[in-house]
Amino acid sequence: MASRRRMLLKVIILGDSGVGKTSLMNQYVNKKFSNQYKATIGADFLTKEVQIDDRLFTLQIWDTAGQERFQSLGVAFYRGADCCVLVYDVNVTKSFERLNSWREEFLIQASPSDPENFPFVVLGNKIDVDGGNSRTVSEKKAKAWCASKGNIPYFETSAKEGFNVEAAFECIARNAIKNEPEEEIYLPDTIDVGGAGRQQRSSGCEC
Amino acid sequence: MDLSSNPSPSHPPTDDSSPPPEKRLASLSLRTSDLPPDFAPAGEIEEYGDDDDEEGYLTAVSRVGSISSSAAAWKDDVEDPDVAPPSPSSSGYAGERGTSLASSAGANDDPEPQPDDWPRDKKHLDEDDASASWRKRKKHFFILSNSGKPIYSRYGDEHKLAGFSATLQAIISFVENSGDHIKFVRAGKHQIVFLVKGPIYLVCISCTEESYEGLRGQLELMYGQMLLILTKSVNRCFEKNPKFDMAPLLGGTDTVFLSLIHAFSWNPATFLHAYTCLPLAQSTRQAASAVLQDIADSGVLFALLMCEHKVISLVGAQKATLHPDDIFLLANFILSSESFRTSESFSPICLPRYNSMAFLYAYVHFFDENTYLTLLTARSDAFYDLKDSRSRIQDVLLKANVLVEVQRSLRESALRIEDLPADPSSQSVSPPPQFSQDVHSQLLSSEMAIGGPAGLWHFVYKSIYLDQYVSSEFPLIISKPKQQKRLYKAYQKLYASMHDKATGPHKTQFRRDEDYVLFCWITQDFELYAAFNPLADKSQAIKVCNRVCQWIRDLENEIFVYGESTLSWHLGIEKP
Repeated sequence: MASRRRMLLKVIILGDSGVGKTSLMNQYVNKKFSNQYKATIGADFLTKEVQIDDRLFTLQIWDTAGQERFQSLGVAFYRGADCCVLVYDVNVTKSFERLNSWREEFLIQASPSDPENFPFVVLGNKIDVDGGNSRTVSEKKAKAWCASKGNIPYFETSAKEGFNVEAAFECIARNAIKNEPEEEIYLPDTIDVGGAGRQQRSSGCEC
Repeated sequence: MDLSSNPSPSHPPTDDSSPPPEKRLASLSLRTSDLPPDFAPAGEIEEYGDDDDEEGYLTAVSRVGSISSSAAAWKDDVEDPDVAPPSPSSSGYAGERGTSLASSAGANDDPEPQPDDWPRDKKHLDEDDASASWRKRKKHFFILSNSGKPIYSRYGDEHKLAGFSATLQAIISFVENSGDHIKFVRAGKHQIVFLVKGPIYLVCISCTEESYEGLRGQLELMYGQMLLILTKSVNRCFEKNPKFDMAPLLGGTDTVFLSLIHAFSWNPATFLHAYTCLPLAQSTRQAASAVLQDIADSGVLFALLMCEHKVISLVGAQKATLHPDDIFLLANFILSSESFRTSESFSPICLPRYNSMAFLYAYVHFFDENTYLTLLTARSDAFYDLKDSRSRIQDVLLKANVLVEVQRSLRESALRIEDLPADPSSQSVSPPPQFSQDVHSQLLSSEMAIGGPAGLWHFVYKSIYLDQYVSSEFPLIISKPKQQKRLYKAYQKLYASMHDKATGPHKTQFRRDEDYVLFCWITQDFELYAAFNPLADKSQAIKVCNRVCQWIRDLENEIFVYGESTLSWHLGIEKP
């Protein structure tokens, strides 16, 4: 079903506060990085157009706030997401340990139709810090966790240096398309004037 | 200024009502500062085009918080192109502006207002929410899904506005999370109106001073237009797949929505919820209705013969009824889609007020540039049958000279204020002689000074039982599209205040400002909206309104669709 139309993908970025979600987005969308930390309030929204294999995509990126007090926004924000990006800081073990609860929270709130195969991507950010000397979560450990959760793709990134950011988002887009449902034929009912009931056929969108 | 809404029963708008002097004084002692900004001096607005398309408006962001400047000063900002801040950056936009200005420049030559003369290419695909030009637009419309995916935007490319769309969803969902619903937000001059229809969100952002009710009604029509194209079955797509991207389903319908949005500023059907008929001799209309009725009896659900937005005849099978909003949305769909004109067409459409869940099939054929037949059926294989029916109808219409009469009516049969018959009862009423003479000389002098009888400029009359309205032709003083749009906006406001659920409904309202005297009168049979010269005398105005109503009654067989073929959607109300 390779239609030529542009596709819009809703991408949610989740992770503890301070792991660099907004910086990753800024690096990806605006090619900019700032050392100053500004907490995201509620959510930020960015748009990025990408071309993959001759096909145009618009990524609608939902950069959410990591603080606990914004968690109540969940259902509203996660509804209809095409992909979820989980971010942690390789220098903060706690942020890695929390990935599991971020993932579970997302699956509960967004309640996707096929949770086992919902596309996630995990990013281990800030690999540039202190030349990697302050690192507390090993790549091996992170990959093992990803494998245990249905082979979630894993990327090590540096928002500051722009390392691997582009590749990570390309994977995000590809993952989202993989999950794209088959194009449906839109076929609403026709009014049944003669019969007792008004609906003639039973279902609206037949696949 | 609502000076005398709900007047005491002792002053009904009758021929001999003369308001007590205090009241008249009150109606003259208006302070301009009390006026709503919409009623600010008309003067400079000369350019052609949608006035909500005009640029020169400060951005929402920069304006929020500095709302205190007076309405007049703000108007200057808006309408004087010299004062307006130039749109910075966006060089592509500047070029485009150049081309669109070509048409506005021509406007100073006073073109006749053409309802179908609307900017079809004003989508401005290069814009997004970061563009200064986009932020200056006076009226935005958005449709999005409850996951924040953009479906439609009046201006700019939907995909580029994905971030903005997400923001709108976040706002709506945030309020919904607390078990509440957001209706509107006011930010300075801007009003943001929200309408939630299941998984579909509609939003209008406007600084046009229109009422919340008015804008909400426009969003309802946007939703109705969407349903007409897709039916409510789209909801099931969202139930099955919350990620559903609906925008492609509306592919190619941009002009339908643009034309609808344009209609909000010129077509009274959008707020009166009534349709208007093409004036025709009774016998001519009967000839058309008779042949349509024959067809309807043979399996067609509805048959409509229309000329532009005006109904020539409409007929329904058995008890089937057609809502005025459905007529309006159907006509808008047909008239805005160029392809209907070039060939006979068969298209699935949904009449949202009739049955929002399912499709009907519309056979559409244009007999000439503006007259077209629409046959609605539930049978998807009826094309050839309906083609035959059309040919039979065409024969009858030609034989009875209907199409020629339609063209003649289109050219000639407008209701002109000058043709308003003199009051025959003025002689028979016997007020004190002194008074009578006074009134008479006053009437004469005022007619000479200000044109119409007692300064009457324009009126719209809606028959409540028929769901039909008629409006008079615009006089010279309201000949420019901008002036006409302002008057319609004033009528819309009047309509909203008369039907205000909290304070109304009201029976009469008399409003005076620098632009007009507006008079509204609602009975159980009709609603009358009239505009007068701002200096018009109240008692004279009321008298003239009575004459207008009498005039309409005299003409009703020609200006309304009557008889068995008329459809009533009012439950339990049978037409005479």
